[in-house]
Amino acid sequence: MGVTKEEVESSLKAKLNPSHLEVVDTSGGCGASFVVEIVSEQFEGKRLLERHRMVNAALEEEMKQIHALSIKKAVTPDQWKQQQESNQSNPAA
Amino acid sequence: MATLNLSSLQALAFHRLSSSFPQSTPTLSFNFQPKPFANPRPISLKPYVSEKPRARVVALAVKSLGETEAVAVSPEDGQSAGELPSGSGVYAVYDTNGDVQFIGLSRNIAASVAAHWKSVPELCGSVKAGVVDEPDRETLTQAWKSWMEEYIKVSGKVPPGNESGNATWVRQPPKRKPDLRLTPGHHMQLTVPLENLIDALVKENKVVAFIKGPRSAPLCGFSQRVIAILENEGVDYESVNVLDEEYNYGLRETLKKYSNWPTFPQIFVDGELVGGCDILTSMYEKGELASLLKK
Repeated sequence: MGVTKEEVESSLKAKLNPSHLEVVDTSGGCGASFVVEIVSEQFEGKRLLERHRMVNAALEEEMKQIHALSIKKAVTPDQWKQQQESNQSNPAA
Repeated sequence: MATLNLSSLQALAFHRLSSSFPQSTPTLSFNFQPKPFANPRPISLKPYVSEKPRARVVALAVKSLGETEAVAVSPEDGQSAGELPSGSGVYAVYDTNGDVQFIGLSRNIAASVAAHWKSVPELCGSVKAGVVDEPDRETLTQAWKSWMEEYIKVSGKVPPGNESGNATWVRQPPKRKPDLRLTPGHHMQLTVPLENLIDALVKENKVVAFIKGPRSAPLCGFSQRVIAILENEGVDYESVNVLDEEYNYGLRETLKKYSNWPTFPQIFVDGELVGGCDILTSMYEKGELASLLKK
């Protein structure tokens, strides 16, 4: 058996200490595939490319077996809070 | 009252125009096929069914060729700034001598003229454009025919570009660039390290996309998405098929180290890694990609 969702979550938690983490297993039969949304203070001051690199590095071992990794969100807690407030204000408007 | 008279005169003129060529009308070459509507607009019900009201409607759909003013085509971008409409209608292309070269119809007149300018700039001196509101296929065709008939009546011939067999003005399907190959083939011994070839490649080209599969048929969804974005941006880019084991042997492992990025596709702009599909998609949706490509 390949990489599990729990293993991905465990590695990301251990290395990036996220305040919010969501991992979706999208494997469809052609190899392990995951979609990741992660919020971490370690992203502060980092541009998007570096943030993705940090996630890739945290999953260095798992990447050997992962067919596709999609990082939909890699933001700081402040950005995450802003997005949440933005989402809440949208329906009201 | 005055308006009614003008309409009657217009209809009468149109009627005479069409009746002037009962049998001896030269063959009209239909070189431009409008794309069928994906979502056709609802057809409005008309109270009259007789021929004359139909003729009046067609005559009012577009001004006559003679009444329309010509707009000079500027050399910079193939169209005068804002003067050519981007809507649907009929258009006539004149060369610098003032001779009609081609009469076409289009869903986007400005775009069609820009395309003509790119392929045959020496024949594009000025353009007359007639916008057709509510452009269903029949109305567009009728407008095109009315301009053709008007020209034939005056000149006694068909515009050169509309003659049968003349393909100058037909929109050619865009030719896809071939994928780049890093080596002459697997059997050849490299005299230069592969990472040097990669380095030269990404620095000598504005945009390079390393994808899974050929650009014409990417083999994974992420590579497909990247190609779609680059095509939408209309940017000139190079592509490299990392799965090509004959000409790009060893590229995948070498590129991962070179870029410090573990997956494909990988997109380079101005010699630097932009990222993979996720980052490119994010930049595209925020409008950042267009800014980056214009630098």
